[in-house]
Amino acid sequence: MEFKDYYQVLGVVKTASAEEIKKAYRKLARKFHPDVSKEPDAELRMQEINEAKAVLSDPEKRLAYDQLAQQYHSGQDFQPPPNWDAGFEFSGRGFEEADLGEFSDFFANLFGHGGRQRAEGRGYKIRGDDRHAKVVIDLEDAYLGATRSITLHAPQVDAHGRLSSKKHTLNVRIPKGVKAGQHIRLSGQGNPGISGGPAGDLFLEIHFTPNPRYRIEGRDIYQTVPVTPWEAALGGSIETPTPSGVVKLKVPAGSQSGRRLRLKGRGIPGAAPGDLYVELEVVLPPADSDKARQLYEAMAQELAFDPRQSKGG
Amino acid sequence: MVQQTITSGDLVDEATLTLEELARACSVETDWVIEHIESGLLADGSPYVASWRFTSHDLTRARRMYQLERDFEAAPELAALAADLIEENQRLKERLRSAGL
Repeated sequence: MEFKDYYQVLGVVKTASAEEIKKAYRKLARKFHPDVSKEPDAELRMQEINEAKAVLSDPEKRLAYDQLAQQYHSGQDFQPPPNWDAGFEFSGRGFEEADLGEFSDFFANLFGHGGRQRAEGRGYKIRGDDRHAKVVIDLEDAYLGATRSITLHAPQVDAHGRLSSKKHTLNVRIPKGVKAGQHIRLSGQGNPGISGGPAGDLFLEIHFTPNPRYRIEGRDIYQTVPVTPWEAALGGSIETPTPSGVVKLKVPAGSQSGRRLRLKGRGIPGAAPGDLYVELEVVLPPADSDKARQLYEAMAQELAFDPRQSKGG
Repeated sequence: MVQQTITSGDLVDEATLTLEELARACSVETDWVIEHIESGLLADGSPYVASWRFTSHDLTRARRMYQLERDFEAAPELAALAADLIEENQRLKERLRSAGL
């Protein structure tokens, strides 16, 4: 485990005031907010920033951390000395084991046990907190269902009642019919309870792997299918891949680019399954041979067709 | 060979969340949820507390708003406005991506 320099993370000096720490935190929180940040490691940075703020904005934690930081520098191999926090009581709410899933091993090892020990000492039965994670699946998985392995950092209590963070892998069944943004709730897979209280739940938020072929809106899927000019003009039966497999599609005669065909119930399955919308895109064959050029020239001579005129241009 | 256990869960939306479940999942008090609904910032603003049921969208939005309020000490209305803009931004990005832009 590496020692983390929380002052460096927030870009403040060791003598920074509470107000300066708050300001630095907000500036970075804005920059690395996962919903808007373009930085590739935004989530990781946000975790570090939250951790740094959790420690440095709490006077007791900051004091205890400062004592340790006198002996270590950033990146140095680190194990917390026994009873390093003797004499400190971390009373700040919000950064106890409830949040450990979103914090690093370093943080969990230093600050993870305060809340639990106090709560257990008082004999309260407390339900563990709920946790959240994201899981990325392919669109096809929503049609068929899938299984995904999810690795979480779960708080663990050792024989001495100390809490640390431990890797925990769950194999989760992704039911068919899930939508982007939907949550799967896994009862009892959140943080463990305290003094015999029940464990919290784990919420998994579903995300789809970006696929340039499909656009997803709720349970409806939109997809563009290229067709030849003769298929569009004369109509015909074509085969096209869709998330649920290859389907035969009837192209109506007289179709133009942009014509939308609805395949009812071919969207993401469910009690009310979505529809699949196929948008036709007419693709012209290149005039790259004598034969092709002759055919285009014949059309130019034989067909009285001016798309600008027919559009009123 | 290690036997793998496969865990199954419930799909939120097919089984919606109660007020208490939503509050717990967001690490907030139920009063926080009630205040935000009554101010029209969350869910559909229905005044019938007994019938409140929350979807995946409500859960994502409530967590986002709570984090914005906490991280920036933002007024709830400002956090809701940011959440609206983030949701709109995500919708437009999805459309751009599928249009190949």
